[in-house]
Amino acid sequence: MNKNQDKNQENVTRLLDNEPVGKTVQVVRVMGDGAFRQRLLEMGFVRGAKVTVLKNAPLKDPVEYMIMGSHISLRHSEAAQIEVTDQDAEFCDMEDAFNGIVETEVAGVDPMADNVLRVVLIGNPNCGKTSLFNNVTGAKEKVGNYGGVTVDSKEGWFSIGGRKVQLVDLPGTYSLTEYSPEEMYVRTYIRDNHPDAILNIVDAGNLERNLYLTTQIMDMNIPLVVALNMWDELEKSGDKLDIEMMSRLLGARMVPLTAYNGHGVKEVLQATMDAIDESEQETLHHNVNYGTLIEDSLKELGDMCPELDRYTVLKVIENDQHAIQLLDGKDNADEVKQTAAEMRQRIERDYNDDIVSIITDLKYGFVRGALAEALTPNPERTVGETKPGYSMDRLLTNRWLALPILLVLMWLMFEATFTLGAYPQEWIESGIGWIGEWIGKAMPDGILRDLIVDGIIGGVGGVLVFLPQILILFFFISLLEDSGYMARAAFIVDRVMHRVGLHGKSFIPYLIGFGCGVPAIMATRTLENRRDRIVTILTVPFMSCSARLPAYLLLVAAFFTANQGLILMSIYLIGILVAALTAIVLSKTILKHDKTQFVMELPPYRKPTARNATIHMWSKGKQYLQKMGTIILAASIIVWALGYFPRHEGQTPQEQVENSYMGKMGKAIEPIVEPLGFNWQMGVSVLTGAAAKEIVVSTMGVLYTGEADATEESTSLKEKLQTATKPDGEHVFNPIIAYSFMLFILLYFPCIAALAAIKREAGWKWVAFEVVYTTGVAWLVSFIFYQIAIRL
Amino acid sequence: MDTLTIIQTIVVLGIVAVALVYVLRRVIKTTRGHGDCGCGHGKDCHCKDKKKW
Repeated sequence: MNKNQDKNQENVTRLLDNEPVGKTVQVVRVMGDGAFRQRLLEMGFVRGAKVTVLKNAPLKDPVEYMIMGSHISLRHSEAAQIEVTDQDAEFCDMEDAFNGIVETEVAGVDPMADNVLRVVLIGNPNCGKTSLFNNVTGAKEKVGNYGGVTVDSKEGWFSIGGRKVQLVDLPGTYSLTEYSPEEMYVRTYIRDNHPDAILNIVDAGNLERNLYLTTQIMDMNIPLVVALNMWDELEKSGDKLDIEMMSRLLGARMVPLTAYNGHGVKEVLQATMDAIDESEQETLHHNVNYGTLIEDSLKELGDMCPELDRYTVLKVIENDQHAIQLLDGKDNADEVKQTAAEMRQRIERDYNDDIVSIITDLKYGFVRGALAEALTPNPERTVGETKPGYSMDRLLTNRWLALPILLVLMWLMFEATFTLGAYPQEWIESGIGWIGEWIGKAMPDGILRDLIVDGIIGGVGGVLVFLPQILILFFFISLLEDSGYMARAAFIVDRVMHRVGLHGKSFIPYLIGFGCGVPAIMATRTLENRRDRIVTILTVPFMSCSARLPAYLLLVAAFFTANQGLILMSIYLIGILVAALTAIVLSKTILKHDKTQFVMELPPYRKPTARNATIHMWSKGKQYLQKMGTIILAASIIVWALGYFPRHEGQTPQEQVENSYMGKMGKAIEPIVEPLGFNWQMGVSVLTGAAAKEIVVSTMGVLYTGEADATEESTSLKEKLQTATKPDGEHVFNPIIAYSFMLFILLYFPCIAALAAIKREAGWKWVAFEVVYTTGVAWLVSFIFYQIAIRL
Repeated sequence: MDTLTIIQTIVVLGIVAVALVYVLRRVIKTTRGHGDCGCGHGKDCHCKDKKKW
């Protein structure tokens, strides 16, 4: 390789950042160090790899590149870290680094030694692990056509041949290094749980990049099965893979799979069981042959610490700190560390490169060599030509059309949520109204009737009517996620994210935050830098979660007759804007840090399946109904009781509520909320929303239903809000007050579950900060809006 | 107060007490990190301190 490197010196090298759109070049080296460099190497930016510049994002940054058939988004500043040369320059071909395999004898094990058969799913992000997991175990875990959906392990069970097997879905990872939390998580999980087999899911259409991870798993000497997912796409692309030959080279069973429709699932599971059965005997495992120097070093160091597997020994040579820590406590730890350091220096001297690049190059060299033997690419495809599945990018990430399309899609989503949801909402509303009326007539006057009609039906019913809208919103989100558009949205807005000091990866937690803040806060685990994580965690609650949606739907429907979709969208956009401003302030003050780089893969577009969208809707609907029957029901009863007691003879319902415990509480906080245009009922509603945001509406349902005359014909909450008046006869609500109230609901402190998640991920200090900050911002924004709007 | 009103009051106060206990338990469980956090995973919810990063 050093000869090849000498040749490089003769070629003129340039920076990838300066290459024009449409140009294909070869990578010479990646500069810098640390996690970002490692990530680039893992994603295929290794010596000799061909990169094509595809397009600039609409805001000029980032840039879309194609490497090894994958589409990768890099910012200009990051592309400037990659040295390239002409693609036809005399250059080291990575196939030169193909040394074949070495075999390692592995003693037989009893798979039932720990009384459970355990298989783990490992693969690159977005390669279909969770689709397979759901298919096999019957689970309904979230899937999406972008990386980083799974952030912790999910366990499920399946039966095969009368045996029960535990299947564990692990987060997607490009590699098993120590550089990012998800990689460490997968690595530690395997080390601590000793799976009986590893089921490595690879994207059959992108084998070169996916098999890089496989080469690392091979070194762990655990029974391995490789599932070639999206096999249908490989066939469609015209490429031909000799599965038998590839299996022989990797020393692992390879099985074609199309996880989304279940084709090949049975065969994959059977192959896994066969691999487990085989492991009971002594077996020969295949490992990448790294050449004489490294192989000799591996053998020598392996002999010094026989309890470590080949993978860990190699990591010790690579100076991986977590692997080196495993040596602590051993008698010869210092000697092993010293020997490893000497070996590393010798290897680096001989290859004239750093150890991480050398090993990555050799692994990719192995993959390239193996694919040269077993894969016949479609001869009609030329270098730089994109694979099928990316044609829609011509329109959706078009320089001029991308941003308008993004806005139109968002508007469509909110408009459809409103208009389509209005019909079933009316039916549910009349159903609830009818039940309330019937019970009201059937039961004698008294406290129990008041509890059922005003407390339970008024509170729970007020929230239940928004179920159709929730389902429709999640249906649209599911379509956008499954199609692959979400990653494009991140690509389009990345420059803005960068400007406000946010990591591009923060986009995924933000996206999840529109559904629920809790998993969104968990999803920040994909961020490497703790400061990035804290900034994202603190700003995620500004992404309006679906629990706040009922309050917006109620108020928009009641007080805005035109442009309802736009008004709803404006609320979401204000949330995004406040998150951005907060991120700017935090990342320039208390959480100041260097900007972290960001590499993102743009997946091919895929047709969303009705099954997936239905599962997504169903799980959200179920969750919503579960909340109705538990926390919202309980909270409605408590709110009702606080608004009902103490009882005073001879008072009107209005006076009764005002003199109740709830009324007294509300009156106490009224001076704080009055400058925002709110009355005490609204103040109390936002307070009770601490338990769950839907309770804002259920509280209003209870408080305003309580005002109604018992003999009056039951009307919907919407109508009650429209007609509610103050003692002076003035309407309680008008469009300005309604919008000010929506702003407050959007921005004030998150629910207890989200605060608990913040505590777990960031600590109590940040919980306290979040409560004070968000509520302060909410008050200020509502105050400014209300005070300006009433004067206009 | 007639008997019916007394019975109704006792029933309602019982329901309110159960609701109060439920909400408090739920809040305590959630903040301790071992309850259903509302993420929709029920018993398998993310709050369960399964594996730290």
